[in-house]
Amino acid sequence: MKSPVLEIIKVSKSYGTGPTSVAAVKEVSLEIDAGQIILVMGPSGSGKTTLLLLLGALLRPTEGSIRLNGVEVGELSERRLPAIRLQQIGFIFQDFNLLSALNVLENVALVARLAGLKKEAARTKAQAILGELGLASRLYFLPEKLSGGEKQRVAIARALVNEPALVLADEPTANLDSKIGHEVMHLLKRIAKEQGRSVVIVSHDQRIKDVADRVLWLEDGEFKEIAHMATDPVCQMAVERNKAITGEWEGQTYYFCSKGCRNEFMETPGEFGNLAEVLHHH
Amino acid sequence: MLLLLAWRNLFQKKVRFAASAGGVALALSLMLMLDAVFQGVEGQLTAYMDNSGADLFVSQQGVKAMHMAASWLPATLGDQIKKVEGVSAATPLLYLSTTLKSKDKSYAVYLFGIAPDAEMGKPWQVAEGKTVPASGETVLDRNLAANLKLKMGDNLKVLGREFKVAGLSEGTGGLISSMVFIARDDFTQLRNNLPVVSYFLVKVVPGADPQVVAARLQASLSGTTVQTKDEFAAQERKLVKDMGADVLNIVNLIGFGIGLAVVALTTYIAIFTRRAEYGLLKALGARNSHLYRQVLSQVLVSVAIGFGVSLALTILLSFIVPLVSTNLVLAIGWAAVIKVILVSLIIAGIAAVLPVWQLGRLDPALVFKKGGL
Repeated sequence: MKSPVLEIIKVSKSYGTGPTSVAAVKEVSLEIDAGQIILVMGPSGSGKTTLLLLLGALLRPTEGSIRLNGVEVGELSERRLPAIRLQQIGFIFQDFNLLSALNVLENVALVARLAGLKKEAARTKAQAILGELGLASRLYFLPEKLSGGEKQRVAIARALVNEPALVLADEPTANLDSKIGHEVMHLLKRIAKEQGRSVVIVSHDQRIKDVADRVLWLEDGEFKEIAHMATDPVCQMAVERNKAITGEWEGQTYYFCSKGCRNEFMETPGEFGNLAEVLHHH
Repeated sequence: MLLLLAWRNLFQKKVRFAASAGGVALALSLMLMLDAVFQGVEGQLTAYMDNSGADLFVSQQGVKAMHMAASWLPATLGDQIKKVEGVSAATPLLYLSTTLKSKDKSYAVYLFGIAPDAEMGKPWQVAEGKTVPASGETVLDRNLAANLKLKMGDNLKVLGREFKVAGLSEGTGGLISSMVFIARDDFTQLRNNLPVVSYFLVKVVPGADPQVVAARLQASLSGTTVQTKDEFAAQERKLVKDMGADVLNIVNLIGFGIGLAVVALTTYIAIFTRRAEYGLLKALGARNSHLYRQVLSQVLVSVAIGFGVSLALTILLSFIVPLVSTNLVLAIGWAAVIKVILVSLIIAGIAAVLPVWQLGRLDPALVFKKGGL
């Protein structure tokens, strides 16, 4: 059996000590497989950012265990954490956080250089990723000359340049209009499904549910509700399994957004060629 | 790549960078220029020794320099000196320090009495008129003459007696004192015809080692101090250094303090205003050592540019100053340049301490605060 990329077991994080201690995250457990997209939602102050910092090896848990590709991150020394962040984790931020003094190519190549690649190799790799993300014509632009969507694609390229197992995205669509936000969402989905990377997204944006495999609701530092998502094999819409209309075929359960889709599927199930993918991902 | 980022960050805020490098430049210029002035004064003070043509200087026992010194030797000592093996010539020199007055200003001068047939100790470069003054005449430094508003043929009062300006010399002026030459007989008369001289300038025979001849002279002449030209000049330089050491130290300290304060403050501000960016780099996986190198490179670039500007400024002034000031010479020595480079490196090192400490403590989680870089 394949082990999960990220495994968090009864993780708690408290700030302060004694009677003034505040628990930001309480005994949270979660497993994330390769290629899975997890959406964490919740009200402000629910502990989302703390959870993201814990997953990103930027904060040590007070209790519990965080394993990234089998490595107990919480027990690593401070000296080893930068390497873990650099090689295993990619970060995407709400405000893009690009370095204003560097151009697009340099912003991405910098992270590859930090990971130890030679200058030319880092630039070549950065150039290739930026090309894949449709930014080939923007390589030498400074961030200030880019649109919001372009900035976020650069940030995504930077997150991917060291081929991390885990991508953490903090409100990746918050500063983008709906069209660009939609593009970014689907780009993240592509990254997860085609490259097999695990993606954790913290967001208030309900639309991200469409690309998520699981939706976690974090409130008062605890997961209150977990929605398992599925893709309607007919219209490709993301649906919550517990609210969706279901249908059985050859011993498998399929989830549909409407009766119309289920009926269409049941008439000619063999016509929906992406069933393997639907089953694989859900 | 991080160094590229450091470089770009440094030049992105041009005003701050200019303030930083400019502040360092001014502070280091202060040190370099004062050193250059002292070096120039040293050069002026030893100009006579360097250009007199003498290999050895004989003075009264215990007298090792000319500036702020008085030496008395019997005039007959010359014959004894000439008899010592290895001596080619011995020229008696009368010398004292005095002042000359114009309407509203006094000028310190070295007054030399030289014989008309003197082989050594004459003005070595004459712009106008005679090289060696006859009785009743004087040859004086051209800039001093200009300050005293004297021209050829005018009269100059020295030690209460009038002398006619018969020549104007060059390279004989100085910030502290300038040179005036009169005939040796006139000088002797002004000293009530005492049969004494101040120094003997000695030339050794070609091929002889001045050190060996000096030792021989020292052994055979009682009541004297015999030094080579270089030793005599070194004593003169030491005197200037000793006299100016406190001033030099104070100015060096001020320059160091100003330079350090400017670089430390501007670097601290530069790092503080970009702490979110450094937080991002840490979050992405940059090690503290990467960031420390970035800070150090920024500080070093600021200081190096400041040093370059200060050196250029001092070199420029060393050309301009002599055009506007008759007696001030700025001489830039390697020792001063190396000293200021070392001071610059120390400034850079100390200025980096606070930002490095700041970055070491920087929480990379800062990057998740809303508002961006």
